[in-house]
Amino acid sequence: MQREVGTLPLAPALRARLAAAGFQTAQELLDTGPCGLSKEIGISREEALEALQVVRQECQGDTARTPGGSGATRKCTALELLEEEQSQGFIITFCSALDNILGGGVQLTKITEICGAPGVGKTQLCMQLAVDVQIPECFGGVAGEAVFIDTEGSFMVDRVVDIAAACVQHCHLIAEAQQEEDHGEALETFSLENILSHIYYFRCRDYTELLAQVYLLPEFLSEHSKVRLVVIDGIAFPFRHDFEDLALRTRLLNGLAQQLIIIANDHRAAVVLTNQMTTRIGQSQSTLVPALGESWGHAATVRLIFHWDNSQRLATLYKSPSQKEATIAYEITSHGFRDVQPPAVPPSTGGTELNPRKRPRTEGEKQ
Amino acid sequence: MDWDQFDLNPKTIAALKKADIKSVKEILNLSGADLQRLMKLSSADIQCLLKTVSHTLRRNSMLTALQLYQDKDHFTSQHQRLSLGCSVLDSLLKGGIPLVGITELAGESSAGKTQISLQLCLSVQYPYKYGGLESGAVYICTEDVFPSKRLQQLIDQQHKLRADVPAEIIQKIRFGNSIFVEKAADLDTFQQCITRRLSLLLARGMVRLVVIDSMAALFRGEFGPAESALKARYLQSFGAQLHSLSTTFRTPIVCINQVWCTSCEIHACRNVSYFLYRAVGGRVTPALGITWSNQLLMRLMVRRVPLPAPGAASHCAGSWRTLSVVFAPHLPPSFCYYTVQLEGVKGIK
Repeated sequence: MQREVGTLPLAPALRARLAAAGFQTAQELLDTGPCGLSKEIGISREEALEALQVVRQECQGDTARTPGGSGATRKCTALELLEEEQSQGFIITFCSALDNILGGGVQLTKITEICGAPGVGKTQLCMQLAVDVQIPECFGGVAGEAVFIDTEGSFMVDRVVDIAAACVQHCHLIAEAQQEEDHGEALETFSLENILSHIYYFRCRDYTELLAQVYLLPEFLSEHSKVRLVVIDGIAFPFRHDFEDLALRTRLLNGLAQQLIIIANDHRAAVVLTNQMTTRIGQSQSTLVPALGESWGHAATVRLIFHWDNSQRLATLYKSPSQKEATIAYEITSHGFRDVQPPAVPPSTGGTELNPRKRPRTEGEKQ
Repeated sequence: MDWDQFDLNPKTIAALKKADIKSVKEILNLSGADLQRLMKLSSADIQCLLKTVSHTLRRNSMLTALQLYQDKDHFTSQHQRLSLGCSVLDSLLKGGIPLVGITELAGESSAGKTQISLQLCLSVQYPYKYGGLESGAVYICTEDVFPSKRLQQLIDQQHKLRADVPAEIIQKIRFGNSIFVEKAADLDTFQQCITRRLSLLLARGMVRLVVIDSMAALFRGEFGPAESALKARYLQSFGAQLHSLSTTFRTPIVCINQVWCTSCEIHACRNVSYFLYRAVGGRVTPALGITWSNQLLMRLMVRRVPLPAPGAASHCAGSWRTLSVVFAPHLPPSFCYYTVQLEGVKGIK
């Protein structure tokens, strides 16, 4: 009731008139009534009635909001936030090295950006995550669904089928090894067709369609409340041509980032974006940097850069609020995104074994 | 834009007309605050407007992955591919060239790129049952003359190459009639060709394959190192237009690209363990390289094999080549051998 007039969702011209006439709080407006209001600021009675209706709705909304709920402002302590974060799930990637440097996997309620040159595995990881988000809770997953927004046309459903089949098989193996009650139940619903039917695919052909799709996402996520992952593959493609006015592009990207942050928070979903690399020409050499400019770098909470080192694929955690910068190696196999398998140790070697993952044999252990 | 047909409040429609907003794109390009000021409406009304126009733009656009997987319709299915005309090469690509997206075919000179693209121009004309798309092809030449003699040879030998297709079907196809050759030796002509000629042919359904031979030739020698930003803009613009045509008409676009292997730069080459990838001390030089690679769906590379492969059957005339997948969203990096014979390109198991 003590809402200031300036914060009410009325047309700006109307707000200006109210301020000029000396109204300061919503309560004053309600007390004046429509006739008085129309006389004071010179608007028609219908407009005054409408405005008062809006004010009344706003005030009702304010009082209805519980103190700890998702209102306009919410107070809580850092301890509560910590507990909330720690209970937050992670979406595993099936590459344990990557999960480790991320602190458990791709985090819910945060935006993760994956940058890399073409062919390095960004889309593969996105497809892997769209499958992994659906892993049942008893196997360590978040039992969610996935939204996949494709701007480049690189979503090949056959590949997703391979990845999903491998994931189901993996879970079957775990169930056999561990023999627990709920595993069997969960496996009944965790089938290939089920997984495919819970990946919601949207194809956006230009940036206007992408913007429109993101405006519609909150409604979609409210209807499909089990969605825990939103992938946009890739965010750079529609924004990197046909933009004479770069200021417009920056503004649109910032707006997009803000909407995605709100979506991630309100619906407890992880947002994963893929970005391209571009060459930045420096004084004497050129380097590969993520595309879309410096200001876009602030949009994502976590940034991963995928790159090559000769023929080995590497992932570097470039930006994270809680994990330290690190680089790990990964592989793309026919089953999907995986760890690098250590090379098989040839059986007949002595103590000069060079595999760094094994500790050297001592004399006493040698047979 | 006829705003009356949208499901909007009359007040909002009047405001739209008064503010002279002509398209959905304009609305989405403006921020919420700008819209409020322009149209003098409250934020709730603006939110409602944004949701309504977004709905209209994106009506019925959701599919589940299961629907994509189960879609068997010729025109929309992801499983439909364009066959290369040889079963060994097709199995390397798990069916053939995908219908939506730009596929690049890179390689040194005389490695067989033109041969493969001519073969594609013929195989697109076969019925769907035999891996074709029942339509013609456009061949855009940017430097060399179109190899019409070789095309005629291939046409005469089709019955030998495509033993899987009954002879009467092959006889009925008028191969030469459905291949449209365009010449575009510089950037402006190329731009014209894409925007006018190509759109027309695609819109009329007369072609369902576009071959560009070659992309690199358009840019060679035209741009110095200081103009790399301009070059990048051209590349991105062409890439976006081709991508858009490919998506709208579900037509594969095959771009031939050259590979330079000088001691200080390698273009259009990515790591596969059996390739020699050299860069100068980890630095990357700006080239047709990454700006163009970002536009591609799939990159294939052809090479001549200098010596006969171990265990080669001695009856294979002509030197061997390799066709390898450098990157593709649905294929692992892999390769296979092939030879170029009179009847065309044939893979070797």
